[in-house]
Amino acid sequence: MFIRKLLGSLILFVIGSFSLSAESIRVSQIDTNKLLLNQQVKLYISLTNNQGRPIQKQQKRSFKIFESGNGRTFQIIPEIKSFQVGANYEDGISFLLLIDNSESMYWTMEGRKTKKDAQRRITHAKSAVTSFLGSITNPKDKVGLAVYNSSYLLLSSPTQDKKKIEKQLADIQRPQGDGIYSEIYGSVQLAIDEFSTIKGRKAIIILSDGVNNPSYTYTKKINEQFGERFVSYQKPTNALQLEGISLYVVNFGKKGQIKDRHLSRISERSGGVTFNAHSRKQLQAVYLTIIDQILKEYIITYRASMLPAEKKTVKVAYTNKRGKDFSTTRSYLASTVFGQPGLGFNPFYFIAFIVSVLLLWLLTRIKFEKQRAQPSIEILNAGAGNVSTQILDLGNAQTIIGSASNADMTIAGVAGIEENHVTVAFDEKSNQYTLIGTDKVLVNNQAVTTKVLEPGDLINLDGVTMIFDEGTEQDKDES
Amino acid sequence: MSTFMKKLVYGLIGLLAGLAAWPFSETILVFQPYFSSYFMFIIVLGLVFGGLMGGFLGSSEGITLSVKSRIVPGIIVGMILGAVGGAVGFWIGQGALWIVSELVLHSNKLLQAYGIPISRAIGWGFLGVFIGSVEGFRTRSFAKIKVGIAGGIIGGILGGIALEYFRLRFPDAFFGRLIGSLILGLLIGLFYGFFEKKFSKGVLRLLNGTLKGKEFLLLQNKIRIGSSKKVEIHLPGYENVADIHAVLKSKKTDLVVNNVNTEHRVLVNELNVSEHQLKLDDVIQVGSAKFWFFYK
Repeated sequence: MFIRKLLGSLILFVIGSFSLSAESIRVSQIDTNKLLLNQQVKLYISLTNNQGRPIQKQQKRSFKIFESGNGRTFQIIPEIKSFQVGANYEDGISFLLLIDNSESMYWTMEGRKTKKDAQRRITHAKSAVTSFLGSITNPKDKVGLAVYNSSYLLLSSPTQDKKKIEKQLADIQRPQGDGIYSEIYGSVQLAIDEFSTIKGRKAIIILSDGVNNPSYTYTKKINEQFGERFVSYQKPTNALQLEGISLYVVNFGKKGQIKDRHLSRISERSGGVTFNAHSRKQLQAVYLTIIDQILKEYIITYRASMLPAEKKTVKVAYTNKRGKDFSTTRSYLASTVFGQPGLGFNPFYFIAFIVSVLLLWLLTRIKFEKQRAQPSIEILNAGAGNVSTQILDLGNAQTIIGSASNADMTIAGVAGIEENHVTVAFDEKSNQYTLIGTDKVLVNNQAVTTKVLEPGDLINLDGVTMIFDEGTEQDKDES
Repeated sequence: MSTFMKKLVYGLIGLLAGLAAWPFSETILVFQPYFSSYFMFIIVLGLVFGGLMGGFLGSSEGITLSVKSRIVPGIIVGMILGAVGGAVGFWIGQGALWIVSELVLHSNKLLQAYGIPISRAIGWGFLGVFIGSVEGFRTRSFAKIKVGIAGGIIGGILGGIALEYFRLRFPDAFFGRLIGSLILGLLIGLFYGFFEKKFSKGVLRLLNGTLKGKEFLLLQNKIRIGSSKKVEIHLPGYENVADIHAVLKSKKTDLVVNNVNTEHRVLVNELNVSEHQLKLDDVIQVGSAKFWFFYK
């Protein structure tokens, strides 16, 4: 009750500092996790009136959804599958509070250095965050806390333990030395990385009292987290869109103070809002407004189109009770197994199919086994030996196989093979080859000293395996 | 054909399978807007892509064994099983995607960078399993199914990763998917060949005749040798070979050859046998065909 009263009384302060155009519609988050399985896309839609308050009790018929594959031509989605109001109450919200902890946060609201803790901006920020924590009554809501200056530091991942956050908030220390600068874009990027793995509705709320001042620019010392590189604002912008996280920006400081010009752009593109707060009370009101807006979002689930595109644009059109139309667009990534189509149907691609079929047919025609015309001895397994030739054609004379260098087939490196280990002799009368060994040799796994060779006989000389082939000419002669 | 050559032929057929499937997948992509959902779209892609890959790879056994009568039935069975495998493979890939995205990765960035490629690779792996097992199902051989599963899943996953890599590396280039498809087919073929050799209990190499040099990997528990086209080791053009002449049976790690035809002899090391436990370098003679038994 106290919270509502506080919100009511402070909202007027916020109205004046609400940066966006008055009555507006935003897609604050897109959930595409179910897209590939059941074709569904879930949109979190924030609808606010000209006072920045959530517009409630709207009907499904007030909304129309369109999709585009190129961002220019849109096609209407015929049916909204489900329309929920206040669903974030049921599912819970995850917040990540990113607090500026640069040197200027320890100055007064007017930008003067002070030793009085109560006058410091950081003290106001801590107080506002404490009241924000107090306003969270839904046990499903989670809050995380991170601070940034020259570097980014996560103090707590989103948790339901608000006491823990309060304690960590109180323990935030003033930066020293080169830690006093404001690495805004890089810190938002790291916050996104931390936050991206959390499921459901999620929002990062960044409190900043200045502009992006990377430490390397001033100190020329390599930053431990960001190195020498300048993190551009496009990087967190793209990451927020990819992850479907909305960034709410709170510019905190005196009126007319310089604000980071890109931060509100990042926020807008992510579906968030930028607020200006000039006092502790306004800051408290801003935090409460943010939570109020998120809690009163509409969730629309629809069946996505099949437009081929790596990135699809969804447009949500809203017609108010006076018949005035508002619309907003947001993109999401839609991927398929093979990626995006090429340049269109090309019949010439099927040449590849024809070629492959022809080559397969050719493969069926190839005769992989070829018989030699001449009678021969072919080495099948040289074992430990080093043979002078793999195939030795047999003539009509005697053929010597052994370790001698002048043998017809020299087998070196095998101790058991003698210089003239075996002789293959040809008998013209019988038209047969006979193997004659100086000692026993294995033919067809049988120990022999002499054997009339037959086609396919397997000869084993101390581990060197070879085969006798009579050749196809011999077959012809016989036939 | 040596087992090395056989592996190369498997790889070549896989390559041709990837080449054949590519224009169809490109065409289906063009017609994406006409599908009712991404899910249906992916299933149809899987059916067509898997069917073509399976058809080509189904021909490999007939080609490598030089048994032409087995080529067309192999293609038909391969197409059916490949289509089922493609659809189931991608469906499982989607399931993996759902699990990864819902339970593990709520980050779109991580989902895009790891979740989708990994789950797709798993899907390709399942596609590989079904395609690889074509010959095993056709011959109702558990050993060949086992080879197909091992070769298909590894070839499929590695090939799927290659395909994903080329798709992500060259998102706008048609050749990115072409190269990916070729590598996918090649790897499924090569790994099938690799595991076929790895799981075999031995090799029979023909030492003479028209098929001299052809090697038969001994995978199954029962392998028939004869002149019939239906037997596992078909011997056309050899004399004195009965339709079903001899049978090789595996007993644990050993292989035993049996003469199952009383009219014809089976010689092992030139001795007539009715049953013989094979050992290294045995020479088996079935009719005029001589085989050398060895281990790879």
